[in-house]
Amino acid sequence: MTGVTTMTEPLLEVEGVDKSFPGVRALHDMRLELRAGEVLALVGENGAGKSTLMKLLSGIHTADTGMFRLGGESFEATSPRHAQELGISIIHQEFNLVPHLTVAQNVFIGREPRRGRLLLDERRLNADTTRLLERLGLPLDPRAVVGELTVANQQMVEIAKALSYEPRVLIMDEPTAALNDAEVATLHELIRRFVLPHTGVIYISHRMEEIKRIADRVTVIRDGEYIDTLDVASATTAEIIALMVGRAIDTGARPQGVRADRDVVLGIDGLNTKALLKNVTFDLREGEILGFAGLMGAGRTEVGRALVGADRIDSGTITLHGKPVRIGNPADAARHGIGYLSEDRKRFGLLLDQDVRANIALGALRDQFTRGGFVRDRDARATAQSYVGTLRIKTPSLEQTAKHLSGGNQQKVVIAKWLAKNCDVLVFDEPTRGIDVGAKEEIYQLLNELAAQGKSIIMISSELPEILRMSHRVVVMSEGRVTRVLDADEANQETIMHYATLRPDENPDDAAELGIRTGS
Amino acid sequence: MKKLRKIVAALAGGALALTLAACGSDGGSGGGGDGPFIAIVSKGFQHQFWQAVKQGAEEEAAARGARVTFVGPATEQEVEEQMNMLTNELAKSPQAVGFAALDSRAAAPLLQQAQSQNIPVIAFDSGVESEVPVTTVATDNKAAAAEAAKHLSEQLGGKGKVALVVHDQTSRSGIDRRDGFLEWMKENAPGITVLQPQYGGGDQLESANITKSIISANPDLKGIYASNEGSAIGVIKGVQESGRQGVTVVGFDSGKAQIDAIKSGVMAGAVTQDPIDMGRKLVDSAIKAIDGEQLPKTIDTNFYWYDKSNVDDPKIKATLYE
Amino acid sequence: MAAVKTQAPERAQGGGIAGALKGSLQQLLAFASLIVIAAFFSFASPYFFSYGNFTAILFSTVVIGTLAIGTTFVIIAGGIDLSIGTGMALCAVMSGVFLVKLGLPLWLGVPAAVLFGGLIGLVNGINVALLKIPPFIATLAMMLVAEGLALVLSDSTPIYFTEAPGYTEISTGNLIPGVNFPNAVLVLLVVALIAGVLLRKSVLGRYTYSIGSNEEATALSGIDVRRWKIAIYAFAGLFIGLAGVLISARLGSAQPATGMGYELQAIAAVVIGGTSLSGGKGSIVGTLIGALIISVLNNGLQIMSIPQEWQNVILGCVILVAVYTDRIRKKEL
Ligand SMILES: Nc1ncnc2c1ncn2[C@@H]1O[C@H](COP(=O)(O)OP(=O)(O)OP(=O)(O)O)[C@@H](O)[C@H]1O
Ligand SMILES: [Mg+2]
Repeated sequence: MTGVTTMTEPLLEVEGVDKSFPGVRALHDMRLELRAGEVLALVGENGAGKSTLMKLLSGIHTADTGMFRLGGESFEATSPRHAQELGISIIHQEFNLVPHLTVAQNVFIGREPRRGRLLLDERRLNADTTRLLERLGLPLDPRAVVGELTVANQQMVEIAKALSYEPRVLIMDEPTAALNDAEVATLHELIRRFVLPHTGVIYISHRMEEIKRIADRVTVIRDGEYIDTLDVASATTAEIIALMVGRAIDTGARPQGVRADRDVVLGIDGLNTKALLKNVTFDLREGEILGFAGLMGAGRTEVGRALVGADRIDSGTITLHGKPVRIGNPADAARHGIGYLSEDRKRFGLLLDQDVRANIALGALRDQFTRGGFVRDRDARATAQSYVGTLRIKTPSLEQTAKHLSGGNQQKVVIAKWLAKNCDVLVFDEPTRGIDVGAKEEIYQLLNELAAQGKSIIMISSELPEILRMSHRVVVMSEGRVTRVLDADEANQETIMHYATLRPDENPDDAAELGIRTGS
Repeated sequence: MKKLRKIVAALAGGALALTLAACGSDGGSGGGGDGPFIAIVSKGFQHQFWQAVKQGAEEEAAARGARVTFVGPATEQEVEEQMNMLTNELAKSPQAVGFAALDSRAAAPLLQQAQSQNIPVIAFDSGVESEVPVTTVATDNKAAAAEAAKHLSEQLGGKGKVALVVHDQTSRSGIDRRDGFLEWMKENAPGITVLQPQYGGGDQLESANITKSIISANPDLKGIYASNEGSAIGVIKGVQESGRQGVTVVGFDSGKAQIDAIKSGVMAGAVTQDPIDMGRKLVDSAIKAIDGEQLPKTIDTNFYWYDKSNVDDPKIKATLYE
Repeated sequence: MAAVKTQAPERAQGGGIAGALKGSLQQLLAFASLIVIAAFFSFASPYFFSYGNFTAILFSTVVIGTLAIGTTFVIIAGGIDLSIGTGMALCAVMSGVFLVKLGLPLWLGVPAAVLFGGLIGLVNGINVALLKIPPFIATLAMMLVAEGLALVLSDSTPIYFTEAPGYTEISTGNLIPGVNFPNAVLVLLVVALIAGVLLRKSVLGRYTYSIGSNEEATALSGIDVRRWKIAIYAFAGLFIGLAGVLISARLGSAQPATGMGYELQAIAAVVIGGTSLSGGKGSIVGTLIGALIISVLNNGLQIMSIPQEWQNVILGCVILVAVYTDRIRKKEL
């Protein structure tokens, strides 16, 4: 809470805004009021229209009708540049950084300091960026290449870039979807410093606990329409969720204990990769949901990728139902019934230019939707349609191009692809990234059903509540090693964080294996 | 933005329509109004040689009140393209067709079609293996190549190692200019060793590269013969770039680069055909054929040896093109 | 779900038909340009609008069209194939080797020549998918190899098919009795139909689009991308072989030195037809229309007796305008 509670003149007002895309009415009679000196959370289900509204404010799309006022003056942002000049900066749901440029080059892209007319002043560029980063308290190197930074640090670059325009309104569209708790804390720290009596922040997130922590008020929208605005201090999470989804959400109970009686389906023994992994060993049992916890960079994603042959393994064995298997690429993995859902849906998950049906049917195309080398579109449609129903994917039709879906709905499409494929082992890396509270529950339920059917699931997640809610056991990783496998009854926030921050040379088991003596 | 795009697109479209219309109105080169229409399908187009044939044809047409069109594929390998062009020309029902076949047999069905449309066909540049053409207007390439061989041998005093850079190994002219040279050397110059012919496609750069490798592989090389303009320019370049002295180069055809090289002494000389003469005689024969005159089986067009001494001779000069 | 108004302009009924309809709608603009150009020539020249000239145009589309159809697959899959032109010459020569030099009967020699094209494609595919050589380089190398091999195997002289009676009928004959409609055009239409159905309906076709849209995502979906890429190049290679047969049957000879430059024309046809060079999008109908636009322009400009220097200028401009308007339409859709 920023503590600014005085009633002030609204900083930003939105009234009666409509916006339609072909076949979709994204916003209808939308309203919003941001006061100076506050953080306003904006919540709603996937596809409710949050990102669309922000894109109108920042000049990416233009509204069909409606009224926008900034500091009492009406305006219409015609381009991102124009919006920035007006004092509105946005951090988009999807990154807008050029991966092979440096931090400084990204921050000042389009307004690089020059020497004369033609030459870039690289020195001043870096100096300016250093000053900016210092002011924001971000420990980043201006000369670092953005593509080589962690996702969290890339997010920080986005924020530095947005703040460098010294905006009056800062919009953040799901800024924490890729961050872990510590990083979220850093981000919130930054936001608090930014919010001054003459500035305001619109903060979009699906994580309720964050909203309780950072926001002053919360505006709920549903199906493109304004529902209500509440004071965070007095509203309960359940209240907010109920307004969002229009129905009660039943949050299921945690699963019971370990299933030691079940067969080991997948055995990983002594996995090493050149980049990161050291001697990773664990079992996955039939019908088990095995959570993977750890900090950013601990190597969880790498385990998933190595396991399906997306990255090269230097040594180590993988056994499936007790027999060693060689998995050289994801196609081998698929043949063995192992599927991998990547944390990065844009790069590794979606066919952005193809339609929803093609995306959902892609993985299972040959197993289920073909006869004699030809695709049976009717079957593919039926399956796709059923997942659009169960996962509540908001799309005007199965023929909608994937890139026109909202972020959360895109994520649901990639999940549907893997559910349709009917694998015995599923490796899900951040499966609920960007997915709203209601749909999360649907997905949890589906995962539980799969486990009940005897399928095994590895669930990598940065959200501890999710790990705790879903896992039969939790594998905790730190710096490329497994530091501990916890049973459900041992796993809690404290134990997980303890092992996630354990330096590997402090781990007695590991040290013994590496032949390092540690004084006891 | 969108508006701008539309405007640009409209402008582009408009410009295109105008271009089309403008070209349409002056369609058909070499004016001459209502006289007979002669369609000429040549082997090439961009090359100076073909441009000179075109010039001769247009001059003759202008003088005789005929109308000619002159087309040819971009390279002399594009047999199919030439067939398409001949098809299109025949669609315009010309009174006569001048045709330089890249491959005579491929053209057989179309020649048949011309015959059935009663359109006389005059072959030019090289013979067409068919009964259809009423005559062939061409240089005797073998004789011309032999002339080049003779002069090269004289320059070298009848001994030494020589190389050939030939423009093409499949076309009649390529084969004749190669074999005419080789045969003369074999029969008349026992002291001269001839290396395996190399082919540069008539491409200057390609021929230059070939020349350089020949030179580095044969330190004792004394002479090079190039079989057409492109090859000759390439050979000159190759010799210059290699920095090697004492290699005598003889060429074929003309063109500014070759003429300059001969004037400056870089090249010993070349055989020139008379492309302008060829164009003239082609149109002349076509008009005669239209008028129903009987024509001899072949009509030889001239060729000349030229070198530093006679390059400015008016008789030679008229056959050279720049 | 109030917001997701199914205003249903594109709400499909049955996937196949609706998909096909949508596909053909996308071609509408290219088709419209074709009609406009043809209409223009019909008014501008008395010789253009005739059955004879139309068959001549179709006939001249056959070789480029066949090559372009195969290349459409490769380009949709995010690749490029520069070896199709000289590869075609090599296949023509192989056809000569099989039929004339080895004296094989037509029923054996012709399929063998077509399969030889598949072999060229297979090698391209292996180079691209297994050895990870960028397609531009891998097929450029193949372009040179094929050019050279065609000359070597033919002794650098055309191989005439006089000893393979009936061969030229494949292109120049008239299967439909009494109508002057060259077989080559029939062949083109039939293979276009087959290719169109395969692209839209077969697993190969689907994976072609998927790989072109996002190769990594496709691989991570458990699809053996390497194997399918090889299959795509090999399949496209069959069209190289077929084009080799069609061109040599038309000319009555295998011309070993011809072919260079055909690849660019074929690629131009594909792009004019709305296929994106960055992959993931495109259609066979579009490619056919693209190839037709090129040959109608070539034919019409020549028939109008426009000086040859200007023909290329105009051709280039029309290609720019055609592709540009296509872009605008896609943006504003
Ligand atoms: N460019 C577009 N073309 C067509 N439809 C679009 C486009 N952009 C958004 N939509 C549609 O508008 C609706 C609102 O999307 P929006 O991205 O605003 O949702 P969101 O609230 O941000 O959802 P999420 O939480 O998943 O990010 C969705 O149904 C989406 O499919
Ligand atoms: Mg969004």
